[in-house]
Amino acid sequence: MNLVEALEILKKDAPENEHPLRVVLACGFTPLHLQTFLMAHLRKRLPRRVEVKTGLFGDLAGSLERLPASEADVLAVVIEWQDLDPRLGIRSLGGWRTTDLPDIVKSAIQAAARLEQALRRASESMPVCVCTPTLPLPPLFSTPTQRAGEYELQLRQLVGSFAASISRESSIRILNSQRLDESSPMPARLDVATELMAGFPYKLPHASAVADLLAALIQNPVPKKGLITDLDDTLWAGILGEVGTEGVSWNIEQHTHMHGLYQQFLGSLASAGVLIAVASKNDHALVEKAFERKDIILSKESVYPFEVHWSRKSESVQRILKSWNIGPEAVVFIDDSPMEVAEVKAGFPEMECIAFPNNDYQAIWDLLRRLRDFFGKSVISEEDSIRLKSIRGADALRESRAASGGTLDDFLQSAEASIQFGFGKQPGDSRAFELINKTNQFNLNGKQLSDAAWKTYLNDPASFLMTVNYQDKFGPLGKIAVVLGTVEGKKLRVESWVMSCRAFSRRIEHQSLQQLFKTFDAEEIWFDYVATPRNGPLQEFFAGLLGVPPNAGVRCSRADFREKSPSLFHRVEVMNG
Amino acid sequence: MDEMEQRLVRCFSSVFPDLSAEQIRTASVESVPAWDSLAAVTLVAVLQEEFGLQISLMDLPDLVSFVAVEKYVRKHNSAS
Repeated sequence: MNLVEALEILKKDAPENEHPLRVVLACGFTPLHLQTFLMAHLRKRLPRRVEVKTGLFGDLAGSLERLPASEADVLAVVIEWQDLDPRLGIRSLGGWRTTDLPDIVKSAIQAAARLEQALRRASESMPVCVCTPTLPLPPLFSTPTQRAGEYELQLRQLVGSFAASISRESSIRILNSQRLDESSPMPARLDVATELMAGFPYKLPHASAVADLLAALIQNPVPKKGLITDLDDTLWAGILGEVGTEGVSWNIEQHTHMHGLYQQFLGSLASAGVLIAVASKNDHALVEKAFERKDIILSKESVYPFEVHWSRKSESVQRILKSWNIGPEAVVFIDDSPMEVAEVKAGFPEMECIAFPNNDYQAIWDLLRRLRDFFGKSVISEEDSIRLKSIRGADALRESRAASGGTLDDFLQSAEASIQFGFGKQPGDSRAFELINKTNQFNLNGKQLSDAAWKTYLNDPASFLMTVNYQDKFGPLGKIAVVLGTVEGKKLRVESWVMSCRAFSRRIEHQSLQQLFKTFDAEEIWFDYVATPRNGPLQEFFAGLLGVPPNAGVRCSRADFREKSPSLFHRVEVMNG
Repeated sequence: MDEMEQRLVRCFSSVFPDLSAEQIRTASVESVPAWDSLAAVTLVAVLQEEFGLQISLMDLPDLVSFVAVEKYVRKHNSAS
């Protein structure tokens, strides 16, 4: 994007929203065109109005320390070397003697510590996106420029350690310098003239590249949840039905290593909680045998379910989606046959359907990078590590119930279920925050919370947060429900209530209400209920509990609940109650 | 209006979106309140992009009206 294009984008009318996204751009230099580019890139990415404000320039740490918590929804911070010590920029004439170097490193360490503290504090109230120094260091070191000297390396190490340290905060997102290197070559970054004349150090293409990646960090797209892969000439090279289980390959010797890399990549996704399934027109027994090979890199335990038969791929995909209980928009389908890709895409237009570029090493490499962008997430939660297990458990539960033929009460009684309720108000509970913003079906009103609103809500002394962890003999489900509300004497007002669809049909929602009445000694619960196009399961629950379809302002008294609630068999544990 | 003038008007329009083409052709630092130092630096950057020129910020004090900018760009564009 060039500057004229950015200005043209900003000339167009912004979408009207009640609440614009308020971004504060903090940097030690005059933000000038960086601000323009950031607004334009955000406008391109986000379907909402965006405001980008800037603070005082020159003292980055001071600006961050003075930033009021309520000022913004997101903070974008661009650090350059001169923010660590002015002598690392070109506007300062503070001295580049060899005797100055130890002092420059020392003061950079102090400045980094101050910045770290300010960023951590800011991240308590809003997400913070951080860009570490992007410009070349000036030629102040005694070594020739092709040789890295001790002090230069110490400065680079300092920035690396600083970034690694703050990246552990769930609300802090660090811009990936490798990604920036790809779009903005180092020699095309510093504009000496505008730095000295206008205090703006970036050449325009570099300003656009930094702004683009910052906008992507701010956008923080929701990662996809599942990947469905073909087998022949995709997960491995060769047609299993033709060459047999020992004939398919994924190794360097047979020049099929990229398939091994693809398997390794899918294993990495699976370990991060991404669901992996197979949809293959193949012989089921042969596929089972192939997955028993000792050298296979993607283990069959990482894959669920396997749809291996000769029916249409779209039918396989339909069954996989049902088993996973997620929508097509959250899934990527990969197959080497363009025809199969087209068939699935026709059935599921919202699904990302990609032809596997068999035999094209570079294209497969590019595909892996693209997939990382689809599935990348900042934090791997406990729920990620048990997701596949819990989906297998849910299927086992359904099958077991169908096979038992008994009543639901009989079945739930034998499920050995236990529920752990948590009442600690932890703003850093990213799983609870994620559930509120991503759950659609069992969702009280579809209301989403910004990071800042979430933290403000939890800081209210009258508010409460109840989280629900569940497990039974079929496996753990992890943290699957969240209730957010306020206590008003003997009355509770529930403003958000979400439960993962994986937890349906276990009466966890009933046990949750019972626990709320008990913990807060409440006589009545008021729900900020709103019907949405997707919260049918929640509507059904209320209809069952109240005996009539719910309307806005649903209330439930303790006596009514006691009368209407079915039998509950869970073992209950309360934390921080 | 020749092609050069059209391109110049487009550049001015991206920096001063509220001005009509007619107003742009008579625009000057005095007549356009939005023409402050930030707008001047942005205008120079836009002109550099559009015409592939290297404009020194030292020349900014001379670029105080559409007419002056047009004269400057015509001179340096033909020289480059």
